[in-house]
Amino acid sequence: MSFEFFTSALLASMTGATVEEVAREHGTIPEQGGIYLEAGIRQICDAMGVTLLVPGWLLITAMLLIVCLLVFGFINVFALFAVWLERKVSAHMQCRLGPMEVGFHGALQTIADGIKLTAKEDIIPRLADKPLFILAPIIVFAGVLMRFVPLPFGQRLVASDLDLGLFYVAAVGSVEVIGVIMAGWASNNKWSLFGTIRTATQMVSYEVPIGSAFVAVIACVGSFSLHEIVQSQSGWFTQWFCLRNPFLFVLAIIYLVASLAGCKRAPFDLPEAESELVSGFHTEYSGMRFALFFLAEYAAMYLVSAVAVVIFFGGWWSGIPYLDEIGLGARDSLAVETAGLLIKAGVLVSKSIFLVFVQMWVRWTLPRVRLDQMMHICWKVLLPISLACLVGSTLWELMAGGSGLFGLA
Amino acid sequence: MSISQYFSDIFKVARSIVIGMGITLKYFLNYKKNTITIQYPRERDLIPPRHRGIHYLETEKCVMCWKCSEICPVDCIYIEGVRGSDGVLQGGYRGQKATLYKFTVDYTVCIFCGLCEEPCPPKCIFLGPQYDYNATDRTMMEKNLRTGEVYTEEDEKFVQWARGENERLIAEKKHGKKEEGK
Repeated sequence: MSFEFFTSALLASMTGATVEEVAREHGTIPEQGGIYLEAGIRQICDAMGVTLLVPGWLLITAMLLIVCLLVFGFINVFALFAVWLERKVSAHMQCRLGPMEVGFHGALQTIADGIKLTAKEDIIPRLADKPLFILAPIIVFAGVLMRFVPLPFGQRLVASDLDLGLFYVAAVGSVEVIGVIMAGWASNNKWSLFGTIRTATQMVSYEVPIGSAFVAVIACVGSFSLHEIVQSQSGWFTQWFCLRNPFLFVLAIIYLVASLAGCKRAPFDLPEAESELVSGFHTEYSGMRFALFFLAEYAAMYLVSAVAVVIFFGGWWSGIPYLDEIGLGARDSLAVETAGLLIKAGVLVSKSIFLVFVQMWVRWTLPRVRLDQMMHICWKVLLPISLACLVGSTLWELMAGGSGLFGLA
Repeated sequence: MSISQYFSDIFKVARSIVIGMGITLKYFLNYKKNTITIQYPRERDLIPPRHRGIHYLETEKCVMCWKCSEICPVDCIYIEGVRGSDGVLQGGYRGQKATLYKFTVDYTVCIFCGLCEEPCPPKCIFLGPQYDYNATDRTMMEKNLRTGEVYTEEDEKFVQWARGENERLIAEKKHGKKEEGK
């Protein structure tokens, strides 16, 4: 939810006017061109005449809740699918079949496992720091959920298009580290503590190359807003930022590698490292608390992939202008417009899911790196190269201007 | 470490990652050809012809000689019945030479040695190809070869009734002979 809208709702509740009026006065209602989830729900409420009956603050809270639930529902459905996909991918790469019994090719296996997890006993170790232990999975999950706020799911389909979107995604990512540290410390278990220390080093270190990849893209677009970044990649797929100049291509690969480490996936799964640390910071967790960590991991996987798609791989643009133009014409009917929006949402989500698949593919191919190798990769390889590419990319933009396919197109 | 060493290391790593991911992708795409998993309860592997599994009995051939029961090293075969085709017992399985009303193997004891097959004069007991036999209770591990099912309490009741009935018949016969003798 945008801050302006919130303030206008506060004003409305104080003066007794409707949210509409105040917002219109202050000019904070988003234009038709940029419909966001909040605004969409508000329009539905308008159509039903709810805005006239309900006080502003209640409406705001309800809309916050609805948007939150929509994103949460998406995360849940995605996690159900991704867990199944991961098991299938790993199985087929190892000449196995994977889950086959529950549903078609085991499609409902994750639901069965989820039911099992809810039925499990929720254990808190006797010597654990109880409040921290209970709070930790909630903070980890909240940290991931917060990063979904500026993330578009398609054109105009975004919880709130923050002006500092990319910066917000990078900044809020650190909340997860705090939750993980709390979990490892509160467990009162040496393996958890080792895992925590590794997580902290890893996640904080790898934010630096991720940050320089972000900065290079922001320098090209001139805006932090994820919506703006995608809009400037329209046209043929040669306009995507990964093909804009050679330095950005390298940065895209660096971002993919660093984001693997950022969401603790193999080959950078040192924090969990089954063979040495049992399972790292969530060794002592069971039942739904463990499920929350698991959900957060898969949500983070989707999130880093979606951010990669948005900033490097053209967001909701399919790379073929004829397909992208559906629903963008001024005279298009509502049905065509909706179809266009759905196509774009489908393109973005399927691109993201493909990157999630690549993450799984890497996980089941490469062995885990050692701690010193992990630090070596970050500080001695990714960081210098990403900084050099940042400089190179900005210089290229100054010299060659904005053009696709390494300046050839 | 020289600068050329640094870049050649990065190149080597990138190359080996690409090769490795190519191999896993190949396996991922051809998984149908490579997988050898058998979906056990629905698909079954072929069993060698001389596999020694769960017994089966060609009941009508059985002559009730107790040879299998006697040779059994762990004594897991239990037989009850009447010899001779005129043994007369309603409900029992009447074979050519005997009327069986109990023929069970206790699989908590059986070691699948196959010795029971050998002395059988009409060659009617075999260890078959079936290898999965399970139960939720130890008492259910006894298989009734007369029906091919688990030996239940009803079977036990029938056997007890038949035992009593048989004794009564024998007593009647003796009594009848005595009467005739008088």
